[in-house]
Amino acid sequence: MKRFLVILLALAMIFTLVGCGDGNAKDTASDGEKKLKIGFIPLTLNNEFFITMVKAAEEKAEELGVQLDVQATDQHADASAQLEIVENMITSGVDGIIIVPSSSEGLLSSLQRCKETGIPVINLDTRIEQNVLDEAGIEVPFYGTDNYAGAELAGKAVVEQFAKGIETAILTGIKGQESGEARRDGFLDAVEGHVNIVAEQSANWEVDQGYVATQNIITANPDVKLIFSCNDGMAIGALRAVEEANKDIAIIGFDAISEALNLVKEEKLYGTVAQFPAEMGIKSIENMVKLLNDEEAETYIDTGTKFITKDNVDEHIEYTKKYLD
Amino acid sequence: MDLHITKKHESKNMNIQSLALYIGAIAILAIFTIACRIAGKQFLTVTNIQNIITQSSVIAVIAIGQSVVILTGGIDLSVGSVVGFVGILGGLLIKSGMPLGLVCLIILISGIIIGICNGSLISYGKVPAFIVTLGSMQIIRGLTMVLNSGRPISGFPSSLRAIMNTRLFGMPISILYVFILYAVMIFIMNKTRLGRWIYAVGGNREAATLAGVRTNKIELSAYAISSLFASIAGILLLSRLSYADPNAGSGYELDAIAAAVIGGIAMSGGKGNIGNTLIGALILAMLKTGLQVLNVPVYFQTIIIGLSIIMAVYFDKADERKSE
Repeated sequence: MKRFLVILLALAMIFTLVGCGDGNAKDTASDGEKKLKIGFIPLTLNNEFFITMVKAAEEKAEELGVQLDVQATDQHADASAQLEIVENMITSGVDGIIIVPSSSEGLLSSLQRCKETGIPVINLDTRIEQNVLDEAGIEVPFYGTDNYAGAELAGKAVVEQFAKGIETAILTGIKGQESGEARRDGFLDAVEGHVNIVAEQSANWEVDQGYVATQNIITANPDVKLIFSCNDGMAIGALRAVEEANKDIAIIGFDAISEALNLVKEEKLYGTVAQFPAEMGIKSIENMVKLLNDEEAETYIDTGTKFITKDNVDEHIEYTKKYLD
Repeated sequence: MDLHITKKHESKNMNIQSLALYIGAIAILAIFTIACRIAGKQFLTVTNIQNIITQSSVIAVIAIGQSVVILTGGIDLSVGSVVGFVGILGGLLIKSGMPLGLVCLIILISGIIIGICNGSLISYGKVPAFIVTLGSMQIIRGLTMVLNSGRPISGFPSSLRAIMNTRLFGMPISILYVFILYAVMIFIMNKTRLGRWIYAVGGNREAATLAGVRTNKIELSAYAISSLFASIAGILLLSRLSYADPNAGSGYELDAIAAAVIGGIAMSGGKGNIGNTLIGALILAMLKTGLQVLNVPVYFQTIIIGLSIIMAVYFDKADERKSE
């Protein structure tokens, strides 16, 4: 019993500490006189892509003198958890909401709440389906990557650089997610008739599953020579498996996270498709401020993609450095 | 004396169960070999068998500790988060220039500390294991995110990868780790007092207390063992991928529980054989590999794996159904 009390006490102390930290943050935030307050909801805060997006947004917000309130769900990002965040943000009195939706369709109730309270919304990265927007009766600008076009870039490079009929495997993300499907389709459409697709496996965007799936793909297809992975994490997993099997297989990733860029530089990955999450963060803040000042905002921005190989990797590393660390 | 007789009777049942498990495993191997042959693919090759064992190794190691906890009648949901936590912790320490051996030592100690926290809340605090470890699963995952602001760590020295990717007599060294760890635990469970007491606590806690077993202490040790093995698994995963991902290990707790259950460890505690947990982990890896080699669409893979878990336990319970 005594020991239990000690544990309770320890827990209480931790909570007090954490609580204090929070309180301080709020105090400094409410210092300024009537700052605009924008709610920013990235899908999660545990991967580099969203961290870069948030970091760029925070810098821009500071520059423009608006307060940014960032909240994200954990790795099991789902629509209901996002709805809670949206509701809490509305309660806490944000003026506008910028959101990366967990799915293209699951946000109807969140959007309706925003509509009711007259809070403008900007949609980043994953586009909310038009029929959902229609049903909510709300107009939402979208800024993001054209995933299809990005994957197409990779596919075109493959057609130019690799021999016809090369045995190719594809690692896909979580089935049913629009951005993942667009990458898969973009690549497949671009390489159609040129490569021989021998396997397609979902590795749920995860490094370890990319490793396992690639081992199994190699077992089933010993002559595979090219792997297109719909994100860099799975590509890194694939690389480990390829190295272990002592095979000569070109691997292409997507996202251009920093480890992937290093691997492209070392010529271990053939290439990766870069997106520009920082642009999404910056553009969304700029335009949200415009909306809140009753100015016109852009309704659609393609933040662009670029195929990174060893030839242009250095300049891209230089560019991304700004938003990490 | 009485205790002795039941023990003997149980061990006979145990053997029949084990036999059924081995037959099941061989049947799955045979089915995939034939199916792959028909599809024009190779399944039963030395490389692929090695792959299956390496692929199962991380889960197999976590499942050792999970089995011990389940044998005491508990459950440990925090192991997946421990894998992620020690990965990021180890990654940061390695990056700071600390020697690899010391990093591993710190990882193992931090694993034991986590286990002691879980265990003392469960045994002395009397909070249900499910609740405590459900909570610590999230706390540890959160801490992992805090440690490196949610970012992965990469660019490790090649010595890190050598832990897992060295070959010994042409075999991946991970196979050796798995067998040594299982051998140690099988020895502890069958030949030491600690092992017998763990079975006693899970089998009949009151009787164990009356017999003078310090049940709280034993229960606490089980959770320490579980976190210790999870942190060993964390080192193996970090080494294999040479990439520390803060999300690493999420969902592994369920795979580890599945491996233990397929291996015949009873969720009610007190019954089961740790060695068979390894077979359970291998069966899981075999299913995954086989279905992927056959290029079965991912939705069906999950359905088939789910069905297999239920079927394994269904056959396991044949005895109980008969006796009713």
